[in-house]
Amino acid sequence: MLLAGGQGSRLGVLTSKIAKPAVPYGGKYRIIDFPLSNCANSGIDTVGILTQYKPLELNDYVGSGKPWDLDRSDGGVHILPPYQGLSGEGWYKGTANAIYQNLEFIARYDPEYVVILSGDHIYKMDYSKMVNQHIKDGAACTIAVLDVSLEEATRFGIMNTHEDGTIYEFEEKPAKPKSTLASMGIYVFSWDKLKYYLTEDEANPDSSNDFGKNIIPAMLNAGELLKVYRFNDYWKDVGTVDSLWEANLDLLNPKIDLNLSDRNWKVYSRSNSQPPQYVSGDAKVENSLVTDGCEIYGNLDYSVLFENVTVEEGASVEYSLVMPGAVIKKGAKVRYSIIAENVVVDENADIGGDPAVVGTEGWGITVVGENLTIGKNAKVSANKMITENVKEGEEI
Amino acid sequence: MRATAVSGLVFANANDKLLKKLTENRSMASVPFGSRYRLIDFSLSNLVNAGITNVGLITTGNYRSLMDHVSNGIYWDLDRKNGGLHILAPYMASDIRRFRGTVDALNAATDFIERCESDYIVLCAGDILANVDVSDVINTHIESQADITLVYHKGMLPVNRADAMVFTFGESTNIKNISFDYSNESEQYYGIGITVIARELLSKLVRDAVEKDLESFNRDILAKKVNELKIMGYEHKEFITLMNGTDTYYNAHMALLDSNVRKELFNPERPIYTKTRDDMPTRYGVEADVKNSLIGNGCVIDGVVKNSILARGVKVGKGAVVENCILMQETRVGTDAKISNVIADKNVTIGEDMVIKGTTEKRVFINKNEII
Repeated sequence: MLLAGGQGSRLGVLTSKIAKPAVPYGGKYRIIDFPLSNCANSGIDTVGILTQYKPLELNDYVGSGKPWDLDRSDGGVHILPPYQGLSGEGWYKGTANAIYQNLEFIARYDPEYVVILSGDHIYKMDYSKMVNQHIKDGAACTIAVLDVSLEEATRFGIMNTHEDGTIYEFEEKPAKPKSTLASMGIYVFSWDKLKYYLTEDEANPDSSNDFGKNIIPAMLNAGELLKVYRFNDYWKDVGTVDSLWEANLDLLNPKIDLNLSDRNWKVYSRSNSQPPQYVSGDAKVENSLVTDGCEIYGNLDYSVLFENVTVEEGASVEYSLVMPGAVIKKGAKVRYSIIAENVVVDENADIGGDPAVVGTEGWGITVVGENLTIGKNAKVSANKMITENVKEGEEI
Repeated sequence: MRATAVSGLVFANANDKLLKKLTENRSMASVPFGSRYRLIDFSLSNLVNAGITNVGLITTGNYRSLMDHVSNGIYWDLDRKNGGLHILAPYMASDIRRFRGTVDALNAATDFIERCESDYIVLCAGDILANVDVSDVINTHIESQADITLVYHKGMLPVNRADAMVFTFGESTNIKNISFDYSNESEQYYGIGITVIARELLSKLVRDAVEKDLESFNRDILAKKVNELKIMGYEHKEFITLMNGTDTYYNAHMALLDSNVRKELFNPERPIYTKTRDDMPTRYGVEADVKNSLIGNGCVIDGVVKNSILARGVKVGKGAVVENCILMQETRVGTDAKISNVIADKNVTIGEDMVIKGTTEKRVFINKNEII
């Protein structure tokens, strides 16, 4: 069960029209490709995708599930939007309530175990190993955790455990963390336990119907066996502009092990048929990731270019993400920015700022929302979120 | 027009011998082209972009790689309940023999032609490197009330191709004469291998030809009936290459480095579809130096690449230099290797420090899976 209804409000203009799991990543992917590919590669072939916020693009993208081999006659991928009913069904009130409202869906497949995932993270993980550990432990619930630094631990839900990995306490964003095992938002439940605790939780009018805040503490209070599953590979929450930018540039870092074309664990995506990329005689392309359909006549450094991006002569793109269909016209400069889909950056416009030049105080990534035009010679400084067209020569 | 009003019929094995080693283990239609395509992608996409959803693919031999590529037609949206892609492979019969010509091939497709219930059929060679507006060809055919419409191009005739037709026009685009005389070395109007014809007429022509034991649809039927039937031409003015040797194959690749050619061949209004591979985007390293090249997804480039076409999944090591080359899928060029004027078939490995230099007169061809 993949929770994909989140707005991702901290991504600002990037999620004003699409749900967070549909946000483009890594040149040709969407965030949801990661949990979906993980499911397919882990042998999970029945997946419910719970949608709520701005689902159009996400529904369209997932479609029949074919790109992930999840178009099955038995099982396969199912989009599960909120629905009306006679007993108070309606908008999903929280993560637990979203699953509660779909207990009938799960029951149809009569599973023994249910994996709960979120559509917000970049990682490659074999869920079957986690399920196997869950079975071996005989746990009611197993929670995937990542060992983070003590400083980071204050920003996560933290699992306090005994030496054998049994959880005795859960603390949401503790000021003084007792442990550094952060929840990744990935749960394996035994089906009967999940059903029982979701039903109990729903009957409690004071509950905020959230897995972390309500279900896990309730299970701990009742003395259920909860275990952690340790994960040591690359994992990144892309909930903020900075983390989304960073997670993309991580693909260019040779020290980070995130190979997306690993034959044994491919990350699948829905791909459009685009011609190969062209790099001209005057272009300079270094340390970048470039996708089919791009035409490069300018300079690229430390950047990720999504499908069908054009960078004209004399334009330069540095430390930036340029999403599908965007055009960077002659002489324009883009640095430390995220340029969303189909944006036109007109001639000699100048976007974003280099922290080494403008100073780190108040510095941040500049984001330009989809379909916007940045006029000729316009200047947009660092740390701006652009939601409207910028006129010729305007300075922001 | 109803969805099945027009069907397509593609010949996969025409001209198989012209590309020598490239077609040793594959049909002409499945020859890799332009970094991520096979030649057949252009014909299949042209048909599909005209709204044709019922396509027969006639194969005679050497078709394993073709089958692997086209699969059930899914990449062209031809995996259909009604219509879709039909592989018309030869089957064992008492009178088994290799096709002598297009009449035999069409005869083998009789069932497809009889059963498809379309009003029209578009016959199409499987190796036409062009983005043709087939929908406009069909509409023009219907409006002109022609019996047969043949698509032509004005230019230098690609010699050596089987049954290439040279046209002379009467009034407007009415074809008055079809010749097979290739001695004229100036620009000519030549057929590119796309024919629109009413299904019933095709059926009748094939039946008659089989009875008379004729071989070639072009020579023995079209050319002979040019005054009896109303045969019209339709000009394809944009980029086209019909493969007739390794030089044309190489030159067609280099033509792709011209943005005008790319605009015509990869017209976004009529996209060219191909099998997807789920590669990640191409990674350019810190020392990468790429100039005037066309590159597929999934490459990792740490060296120098100039005036070359790199297919999906090619690796160019540090200090390596690749110039004027066509490197197919999964070619690996080792550290400090230097190669120029090389055509490397799929999955070739070129070891560290290797130097392979061809010339424009004599390019080096490296066989599939070879390790050097």
